Amino acid sequence: MVFNSLTFIFFFAVVLTLYYGIRNWKAQKAILLIASYLFYAAWNPPFVLLLWFSTLVDWYMAKAIEGTPHRGQKRLYLTVSLLSNLGLLAFFKYGSFIIENYKLLMASFGVQVEVVAPDIILPIGISFYTFQTLSYTLDVYRGKLKRSHSLLDFSLYVTFFPQLVAGPIVRAIDFLPQCEKPRFATKDQLCWGLYFMTLGLFQKVVLADTFLAPAADLVFGWSKGPLFTWDAWVGLMAFSGQIFFDFAGYSTCAIGAAMCFGFLLPDNFKFPYAAIGFGDFWRRWHISLSSWLRDYLYISLGGNRVGNFRVFINLLVTMFLGGLWHGASWTFVAWGFFHGILLTIEHILKSVFNGINLTKVRSGRVLIRIITLFFIMLTWVFFRASDFEFAKLMFLSLFGIINNGAMILPTVEIYKVCIVFILLVGAHWYLRESHIEFFMEKLPKSLVILFWSLMLFGIITSQGGGNAFIYFQF
Amino acid sequence: MPSSISNSNDITRVVPNHHWFPIALMVLITTTMLTLGWELYWRNQGYEPGLDDNKDLWAQTREKVSKKGTVIIGASRILFGFDLSEYEKRFGKKPLQLATVGTNPTFYLHDIANHTEFAGTLIVGVTPMLWYVPEGMPVETPTKNIEYFNRWSLAQKINHSLDQPLQKIFAFLNSEDLPLKKLMDHKIPNRVGAAIPPRIPPYFMKIDKNRQGQMIEKMETNIEFQNFVRNIWIPLFTPPPPPPQFTPEQFMEMFKGLMAKVRGEVAASVAKIQKRGGKVIFIRYPSSGKVRELENKFGPRPGFYGPLVAEAQPDLSIHFEDYPELSDYELPEWSHLTKKDATEFTQKILAMMKDKGF
Repeated sequence: MVFNSLTFIFFFAVVLTLYYGIRNWKAQKAILLIASYLFYAAWNPPFVLLLWFSTLVDWYMAKAIEGTPHRGQKRLYLTVSLLSNLGLLAFFKYGSFIIENYKLLMASFGVQVEVVAPDIILPIGISFYTFQTLSYTLDVYRGKLKRSHSLLDFSLYVTFFPQLVAGPIVRAIDFLPQCEKPRFATKDQLCWGLYFMTLGLFQKVVLADTFLAPAADLVFGWSKGPLFTWDAWVGLMAFSGQIFFDFAGYSTCAIGAAMCFGFLLPDNFKFPYAAIGFGDFWRRWHISLSSWLRDYLYISLGGNRVGNFRVFINLLVTMFLGGLWHGASWTFVAWGFFHGILLTIEHILKSVFNGINLTKVRSGRVLIRIITLFFIMLTWVFFRASDFEFAKLMFLSLFGIINNGAMILPTVEIYKVCIVFILLVGAHWYLRESHIEFFMEKLPKSLVILFWSLMLFGIITSQGGGNAFIYFQF
Repeated sequence: MPSSISNSNDITRVVPNHHWFPIALMVLITTTMLTLGWELYWRNQGYEPGLDDNKDLWAQTREKVSKKGTVIIGASRILFGFDLSEYEKRFGKKPLQLATVGTNPTFYLHDIANHTEFAGTLIVGVTPMLWYVPEGMPVETPTKNIEYFNRWSLAQKINHSLDQPLQKIFAFLNSEDLPLKKLMDHKIPNRVGAAIPPRIPPYFMKIDKNRQGQMIEKMETNIEFQNFVRNIWIPLFTPPPPPPQFTPEQFMEMFKGLMAKVRGEVAASVAKIQKRGGKVIFIRYPSSGKVRELENKFGPRPGFYGPLVAEAQPDLSIHFEDYPELSDYELPEWSHLTKKDATEFTQKILAMMKDKGF
């Protein structure tokens, strides 16, 4: 079930009515849990079994970890959790990829392997909920969190429908305490939650799908040779905007939907296209994943506490795996690796120019923002390209290295993309140090009504017929 | 100061200091008024409420394909031009209409042959030039429909049931012409030399729950509208020039190879259905005016329909040119039958089928 569908509106209204129709906290949580399973089952009912598997494994492993004083046993239980969750992910998400690459590797040694890669359907959101449950077990193992004593609370943490399939990846330490006491949204909070949901849907249905997706699809779906330089850049701007609005739109909807039930979810985006540097970008883009990778992978590898060379390796390994998390394809790996290199270069530059801080002056900040945005956009080529051949062609087209590229974009698409992209970057730059809530508070009531109404009207007239969010495939 | 809610940890969410409930009510009223205005505007432009010919409606019909019965595939001519009720009167049951606008139907043929146990009667509308189009809308429409059907989830089915009543109320819920995305198309002239596909005609068909398509009244009566669509057909029925890397001769050789391949695949699928006990009928619907001229020039019968029928060996082939009673229709925009003519045309086709023992 996607947020941008009538099914969801109906479902949400029913769940909200039931939730507030009962004054028993346990029953309310049970309603949310059942609703979450229905929400997930609406895609493919048998995959609910995977959710149950993941939930039960981590529930029992965390219990076992806390129940034993022996370090070795704790490690064993943690290993069971890691193997179960990552094994699930490996089978469903990377099974075909591993087999295909194994065949290629063997072929390079002259050995032909006759294994047919199975046609496995990827359970939606599996990367998100496996990371979420893993964080619980890891935190219990590290002693940062006491295990939950309520299977109902823990199941709800794993399954909570607003953020189940595309994040934000919530930590148990943030969610489980919220299950302890009844949660209700006030009228204002409920309406503000609905505003957030409208904003998220507007980002997805109107800005991503209506304004930007057509140009991005035309450019990245082109298969007849090089592109005219301007078309390539417009296509790249379109995708840079689309991926932001699509994913941030989902997170905004998720936060809004959760707020309607009185639950709080963390921010997942903080105006990333105003980032000053690549480290700053990752503190603003898909924050729940980048912080997960930082806390459970990068720091475990030694983080910044080791020598420079090890730091570079840690960055590259973390970003390599971050890329792979997004999809079973080498282009995603290249995207992650590219980011790893950018972070490494930033790290080196900071060491070399220690003491010279360009960000202290306005022009320096602007320059670094532009450079950051430029390279971030280039990385998106790998993220969106179907293969390296196209990525190469795209780079050659972007920098005008091949002449006579095809002009494939209708003029109206060029206008749409340029206007939306400039507004997007402008808004990020303007709001960089602020927050949408503070911005909204400064607006007069009449403008709030106008904005909200126009967003709703835009969603209605766009007729976004349930297009899936891009991040569902991850 | 804004009010805020927070839990015992770090997450804090601020609610901006406004009276949100009255704001939400005002938004509801404003949006309702805007939407009603939008609806009235499009009704004034000649749009009527009606079912949307979307992927869900197609999937709903495709889901009904079983071993027996009659299934229709093809493009818009047979979608408009085959009266399902007439068939029902004569044979007792409505056929399943799977034809879609601007479609290369070979994809549907292969789907029925390879992914069902179908052994009934398959009626195939043949618009010869569409059969050999290797990309663009004629390929994307059937490919996406089949893909969508294969993964048609429970959530999408529920969404479809909730969406249909709204489509019957609101004229602006027309996914072909009136989504914001489509309304912005063609508003600014394109760059000289840009490789932009020709535009698709605006809405001139309505459809019912059985996917019975029919031409709207405006197209039957409004000459200005007819001319507008006729002018759109001309570039659409004119094949693009060969890519610069090929000479016309090289390109023609490649195209001949492609046609031979398509014919071979079609013949294999037809044979598969026939082997199961099914029957296949090819029908070439009429065209007229400039569209006919272009079809005769770029997709002449001896090079297209003739070899296709010869190789595929359908159980019955009906080409309108072979029957004077099928040839004397006036097609308002040169390509499709009117509602009344579609009924009459179907009656004649059914009579021919009956004569041949169907």
